Amino acid sequence: MNPAYLVFEIRRALRDPKFLLFELSLPVALFLLESHLFGRDDVGPAYLMGSLAAFGAFRAAFDTGARTAVERGAGWQRQLRLTPLTRGGYLAAKGAVGMLTALPPIAGVAAAAAVLSGVRLPAGGWAAAVLGLWAGAVPFALLGLLVGQLATPQNVQAYQGGLLLVLAFAGGLFIPAASFPAALATVAKALPTYWLAEIAHGAAGGDVRTGTAVLVLGLYSLVLAAAVAVRFRRDAGRP
Amino acid sequence: MTTRHTADPEDATGPEWAVAARGLRKRYGGVRAVDGVDLLIPRGEVVALLGPNGAGKSTLVEMLTGLVRPDEGDIEIFGADPGAAVRSGSVGVMLQEAGLLDDVTVGEVLRLIASLHRAPLPAVEAMRRAGIESLAGRRSARLSGGQRQRVRFAAALVPDPDLLVLDEPTAAMDVDGRREFWAAMRSLCEAGRTVLFATHYLEEAEAYADRVVLMNAGRVAADGPVAEVARGGLDEAFVRLTSGEATR
Repeated sequence: MNPAYLVFEIRRALRDPKFLLFELSLPVALFLLESHLFGRDDVGPAYLMGSLAAFGAFRAAFDTGARTAVERGAGWQRQLRLTPLTRGGYLAAKGAVGMLTALPPIAGVAAAAAVLSGVRLPAGGWAAAVLGLWAGAVPFALLGLLVGQLATPQNVQAYQGGLLLVLAFAGGLFIPAASFPAALATVAKALPTYWLAEIAHGAAGGDVRTGTAVLVLGLYSLVLAAAVAVRFRRDAGRP
Repeated sequence: MTTRHTADPEDATGPEWAVAARGLRKRYGGVRAVDGVDLLIPRGEVVALLGPNGAGKSTLVEMLTGLVRPDEGDIEIFGADPGAAVRSGSVGVMLQEAGLLDDVTVGEVLRLIASLHRAPLPAVEAMRRAGIESLAGRRSARLSGGQRQRVRFAAALVPDPDLLVLDEPTAAMDVDGRREFWAAMRSLCEAGRTVLFATHYLEEAEAYADRVVLMNAGRVAADGPVAEVARGGLDEAFVRLTSGEATR
């Protein structure tokens, strides 16, 4: 990790408050809407908090990585190849910014749940939910970087929007996977988004196989990290 | 003026050769972008790389700067691997299609690049040498094409390199911009720097280069001191090679 480059990227991220606000506000608004509409005993606000905080973490980490398609198109990665900054140093800084961007939506949904929807958890439960979701955002930051390397500035939004919708819906982040038809429920259990939400559901007192969730997200991280590394090595940074 | 470039490429090795490339080939799909190029540049020489679009100039430059690995052949830059030479700061590079970020200022981006290099010029000094001090506070989105080129030139100067590799440095510049650019270059070259620049402008090659390497279809069509190559009909050769794109 190159500290100078990381600081540069963090300053760029802070310079775009509209993006950060957008990443924060949509999951919070969706949580408030859903807990108002569906907040019943079986799918209570605590459950919805897990699902929509997972959505916020997924989306922020993913979008940050995917947006690298734009600077790749502008030739910035090519310019950086002419400096001692390594490919790993660039990717690590971008991944770190994706992870930092993922924290506000998680905290925002948790705060809305506690303050506005009366969700009560022990201190350890809050910590496990927030930190677990945050750590679980790693494969999504990597998925974003992969999309950013494969897409062009012109088509990246199509990839981004498509993957976001499919992974969020089919992973049960908007509608609980328990209410899916059997075939779709099986699909959900193969998706990283499903297991990310399960981490939070477990922390909020649900009956969840947390070990499986960690294993699945870890495997996704390894595979995606390898794919990003291979793709980046083959690329000459040409837009 | 030197004629050492006529030495046998096999014997040319070590740090006194800014560039020692032998038998370079690179193919993209069915296209032989570079098809057997030897290039030797001793320290201190200013070399112009001329040729029409698609002649293989940019691919050659990408290989010399370590961005693209040749399919065949090998390259030494001051006796080192090209990528290592770029990372060590002994080569400053200005590439086509390399770009800037729209959301940061010229000063910020050059300070970042300086902070990444091991023994850089201060960003302010690089801006002064490239003649762009007045642009330091400007965001890249608000630069003209010629100004962007000058910023990328400043970025190439940041490592205080011994070799400058410039791919069409004056593209997108108007006549005044080109004149100012070459005035800045001339004072830099007085310090004994080695320069390899690709260009479409024949008059730039004649005015500023010690030597011309004329490329066509991935091969070196002519190589020698400007006067010598010109005597063999550089004008005519170049016009023939570039016919249809004389407006560039």
